[in-house]
Amino acid sequence: MATSLSYYLREMARGEWLRNFLFVKTAPYETPPHFRDYPRLTGKECTHCLACMMICPTPGAIEVLKEDEGWNPVIYPGHCIRCGLCVEACPEGVLMSGRILESQFFENTGYTWTFHLTVDSTLCMRCGNCSVACPVNKEEDPQLAATGTGENDEVIMRVKGGELRILHEEKCTGCKTCEEACPNSAIRVARVIEAIHTAEEGG
Amino acid sequence: MKKCDVICPFCGCLCDDLEITVEDNRILGVDNGCTLANAKFMGKERLTSPIRRTDGGWEDINYDEAIRYTVDMLLDADRPLLYGWSGTHGEAQCIGVHMCELVGGIIDSTTSVCHGPSILAIQEVGHPGCTLGQVKNRADVVIYWGCNPLEAHPRHMSRYTTYADGYFLDNAFRDRTVVVVDVRETETARVADEFVRIKQGGDYAVLSALRAIVRGKGDMIPPSVAGVPRSQLERIVRMCKDAKFGAVFFGLGLTMTKGKYKNIRNAIELVDELSRHTKFTITPMRGHWNVYGSNEVFTWMTGYPYAIDFCRGIAFYNPGETSAIDILARKECDACMIIGSDPGAHFPRKCVEHLADIPTVVIDPVPTMTTAMANVQIPVAVSGIDAEGTAYRMDGVPFRVKKVIEPTLPSDTEVLGDMFARMKEAKGL
Ligand code: SF4
Ligand code: SF4
Ligand code: SF4
Ligand code: SF4
Repeated sequence: MATSLSYYLREMARGEWLRNFLFVKTAPYETPPHFRDYPRLTGKECTHCLACMMICPTPGAIEVLKEDEGWNPVIYPGHCIRCGLCVEACPEGVLMSGRILESQFFENTGYTWTFHLTVDSTLCMRCGNCSVACPVNKEEDPQLAATGTGENDEVIMRVKGGELRILHEEKCTGCKTCEEACPNSAIRVARVIEAIHTAEEGG
Repeated sequence: MKKCDVICPFCGCLCDDLEITVEDNRILGVDNGCTLANAKFMGKERLTSPIRRTDGGWEDINYDEAIRYTVDMLLDADRPLLYGWSGTHGEAQCIGVHMCELVGGIIDSTTSVCHGPSILAIQEVGHPGCTLGQVKNRADVVIYWGCNPLEAHPRHMSRYTTYADGYFLDNAFRDRTVVVVDVRETETARVADEFVRIKQGGDYAVLSALRAIVRGKGDMIPPSVAGVPRSQLERIVRMCKDAKFGAVFFGLGLTMTKGKYKNIRNAIELVDELSRHTKFTITPMRGHWNVYGSNEVFTWMTGYPYAIDFCRGIAFYNPGETSAIDILARKECDACMIIGSDPGAHFPRKCVEHLADIPTVVIDPVPTMTTAMANVQIPVAVSGIDAEGTAYRMDGVPFRVKKVIEPTLPSDTEVLGDMFARMKEAKGL
């Protein structure tokens, strides 16, 4: 303890160290062109596909809200970590930030995503809330949506053989209605995102 | 082989849309049913023959011996109690009433420990009820008061009240508002739009406050009633008045807490009040499968819904005096036959101790907590699995329950029918 204290004192009392510490010279502050600020709107029309909300890793950072006639994403700076994923994910180019859109265009990069559903069968009551509420199931089996009685196996999931079976995970759009309707947090929707790079020229 | 449109034999929802896979008279799987349904159909621990208690154990006996034991027990008793009836079908309940009349006993169903108070209130002020189909097709406001359907009636929300699209609501749960009133945040509260947390025992006050607000006397309500802020009560009343069709469901959290049947009376009167502005209905969440049927059957046959005493030779009804718990707690009854219910798991200790002291016969397919108090247990076929009969849904709709596999054991109707025949013979009738 005593030796390290005296070591520090000796080290920091040197004139050179003090000079460097107090009068340090750095380059003047300038925003570099690749700096990603909070995403801004480009003015293009939002189609309310919610891809930006789907990909955003930060809870509460982005929301697509209705404004007069159309929809538009709104960024909440206190939550946003400026990762720029929403800018890249938006198929319509509604958002921009730094050089993301340019580099995406020139390098042909993008994302694809699928959803992975898991059911914790120890928590699940097979109440059917999720399968009756799911909007995709509603299209595939109106009978299930209207009466809770599964009629076919084209749905994403339904109660079968005493279990909530996931039958067509690939049809899931990630809306998370099922998660909201589940009283036991037994069903979970996870997005599986892949960065892709297509070979063709941008254009 | 798949059997379709099978009716679930577990809770009062009587879901009639199960699909059961049967192979070689064995049930392999249940589609559409909830966990409780699945457990009921797949249950394995069934007894295969009647058993009788011996010193320190059990011995297998045959049906003839078991039935003879029960008949002798009931005929010898001064004040026999015939209790349970919720897990069995209407035909068996019918025979039960005849038997009870013959021996001058007391017949009571599980109603007296669940929705007995609801019936008392309905006898006073009536029942503005409707079927679950009406709720599904019309209700845009659903209130669950003192009940947790997701635990006790798992498919109630998905099938009848909240998630299923209705004829007049094609956006199902987006168009419906679900309010949960309870003392704790239940599973149902987690998926509700509005959760009202009430202090234990405060239901009566909150119901009265809501009635006052509906009547336009909201300014006399204190800022908080039983822990519920006035603003929330006002919001709920607005929501109810704006509803096109509202449905209230209530459970033991309302019937078995402070205020008991007065709570239900107040709730019914609130519904009455709201019906002056829009359409509102109220339905008790009858829990145990055909418990509603026991009330129906007893009422047709005796004029009273539960807790009926035949010791005077005619039907006499005075819940609190003639209900099973009171008879047992006063150590009044000297023999008990229990069917389709498990009082060993629900009754107060005093009652269970008395059950253990007197001769008790249990008619039940599986060993239960009550088995521990029984002298004889007679296994039977399960209504809705290997026995058929009539059962009532919680909203009073009767269903014909089919069997999905061939029985290897006699049904409740057969066992009771045999008992009744022997009783009549013994009495020279
Ligand atoms: S930049 Fe990242 S954190 Fe911010 S809103 Fe977009 S996706 Fe969310
Ligand atoms: S996330 Fe949406 S689409 Fe996917 S299973 Fe759940 S409710 Fe259905
Ligand atoms: S809502 Fe939850 S508990 Fe109900 S069936 Fe779906 S995953 Fe299971
Ligand atoms: S909700 Fe009740 S009636 Fe329906 S399947 Fe479940 S236990 Fe059976």
